[in-house]
Amino acid sequence: MYIIGENIHIISEKVKEALINRDREFFMDLAVKQVEAGASAVDINLGPRKKDWAEVFPWMVEAVESVVDVPLSIDTTNIDGMEAALKTIKKNQPILNSTSAEPERLQKIPLLAKKYGAKVIALTMAAEGIPVSADDRVNIAVEKLIPRMMEIDFPMSDLIIDPLVLTTSGCQQYCPHLIETVRTLQYAWEPAPIISVGLSNVSNAVPNENRPLINRVYLSMLMGVGLQMMIANPFDKDQNNVIKWIETKDMSTSLSRLYNKIAERIAASDEPQPEDFDMQDPEQGAIWKTTQILLNKVIYADGYLNQ
Amino acid sequence: MPVEIPKDKWTGKVRTVTLGATAAEGGTRTKSIVVGGDTTMPFMQFEAPTAHTPVIAIEIKSRKPDDWSSLLEETWGSVMSDPAAWAKAAEAAGADMIVLWLSLEDTADDAMRAVKSVLAATGLPLAVYGPGQVDKDNELLVAVSESANGEKLLLGICEDKNYRTIAATSMANGHLITARTAMDVNLAKQLNILISDMGLPLDRVIMDPTTGALGYGMEYGYSVMERLRLAALQGDAMTQLPMMVTPGFETWKTKESKVGVGVPEAWGDWKERAIHWETLTATALLESGASIVVLRHPESLKRVRTAITELMTA
Repeated sequence: MYIIGENIHIISEKVKEALINRDREFFMDLAVKQVEAGASAVDINLGPRKKDWAEVFPWMVEAVESVVDVPLSIDTTNIDGMEAALKTIKKNQPILNSTSAEPERLQKIPLLAKKYGAKVIALTMAAEGIPVSADDRVNIAVEKLIPRMMEIDFPMSDLIIDPLVLTTSGCQQYCPHLIETVRTLQYAWEPAPIISVGLSNVSNAVPNENRPLINRVYLSMLMGVGLQMMIANPFDKDQNNVIKWIETKDMSTSLSRLYNKIAERIAASDEPQPEDFDMQDPEQGAIWKTTQILLNKVIYADGYLNQ
Repeated sequence: MPVEIPKDKWTGKVRTVTLGATAAEGGTRTKSIVVGGDTTMPFMQFEAPTAHTPVIAIEIKSRKPDDWSSLLEETWGSVMSDPAAWAKAAEAAGADMIVLWLSLEDTADDAMRAVKSVLAATGLPLAVYGPGQVDKDNELLVAVSESANGEKLLLGICEDKNYRTIAATSMANGHLITARTAMDVNLAKQLNILISDMGLPLDRVIMDPTTGALGYGMEYGYSVMERLRLAALQGDAMTQLPMMVTPGFETWKTKESKVGVGVPEAWGDWKERAIHWETLTATALLESGASIVVLRHPESLKRVRTAITELMTA
């Protein structure tokens, strides 16, 4: 699993404060720790920075690149900010995060990526908003995103498609669609496009104590349909265990067998079954309930584990 | 060639809830009402007969409302100043149940007196709603709950902000509660879980998933109710509660119902339009799974009754 570490994100209070103080050490440390924890790239999401982009983006890139040797993912809607970052990056092929199928962004951002030899993450989102069905998302990729890349002679190996994870709290009915989108996208083009998701979106608006469980159960399902890249929290040890178990087909514990079973079921276009779970074990019971929420079998509620 | 009608088979069932206690059950109601028990989507009589006929309640106030349409004042007349007389008139108009809304100006004594007078004036099961401010609701409803111990009143409105107080007093005094959330399946289910965690048996809870009037979000409320019913039939215990909605409250605040002048002539007769609005909203909501609809106009009651009768025998 290629993890783009998500922790340098302006939504975090600590990041916000460190940025105000231009605390270089803080960001260097956070980048190093993410890579040590297994991140293959580091995402940098500072928001649009409409006023100070010319100063902030190069400053951040320089700080992070001085201590880690992995690609940086420039996560902003500000195209000028993106370019300022790209001009500063020296070490590895950067990732632009992101374009969508909205005409203006799709016009400019792939050209920018091409100019600087960057990879680009393209969201399956058009001007009309986020499409909900699997078919609609695949269609955006095949009819809008990929043709635009071909038009400008952009290497397909540098295109990463993000089919947009939606939260189980409020958009639950679309969680199964995303799984099917990831499955189908791999057959939508030859060679199969690289796919990445923002995993933790699946638990947006969920109480914090339940988020990691929802994230890792969804991850096991997505790995079942072949997910190999995601933006995620590399510090989540339970999540990293699930990745390792599924990647190595580790059957040594009841939990590793269970997560492998979930991945297998989803891989076979099947659903996890009650007999896959030891319901006497509270942890397995909680995982079962989570699969039912994520497959839209049972309506999500904040207290779903207590039901 | 014979055509076989496809039938759904469901594993789940909506809980059965009894409102109002007769003398034999420790109350003073001349009859109680049973709602819920559904095993199919609404009115799919060919799959299974509807377990209990949906119920029409009439909304009255403890004090004469000053913001109601003159059409409603015209039809109810002077009884609107006297909740007991109003309840009697509602019963005479054919209501199955009375919903008494208390007012912000009421003291606990006023509220208890109003409830007592309504209980004396009619034998129908009674719901008592607070004025809609958490602190005031708690103050009035706790007093009412204690003074009408054992009547199996339906107390409302119970929301995430105040469910503890209302559920506790209901538990202590043998009443029921309405669990109201704002048109959201996740929140509706969550409130039911919280209430259940407190120890109030769910066969004493009615869900109010909230709705909008025709043209004002009714279709959104419709979808929420439909989804809750589907989940209930699929076996989700925390959604297996009968639903109650308030189309009267919703439609009589729309411009179409409230205003008779300064609107396009093509809108037609004001009174007819207002009654259509209430009737159509209520009927659609019955089709989406409501067990209780709360109305304001007696003519709407009559028309919705006709619709229910036809749907029950279709």
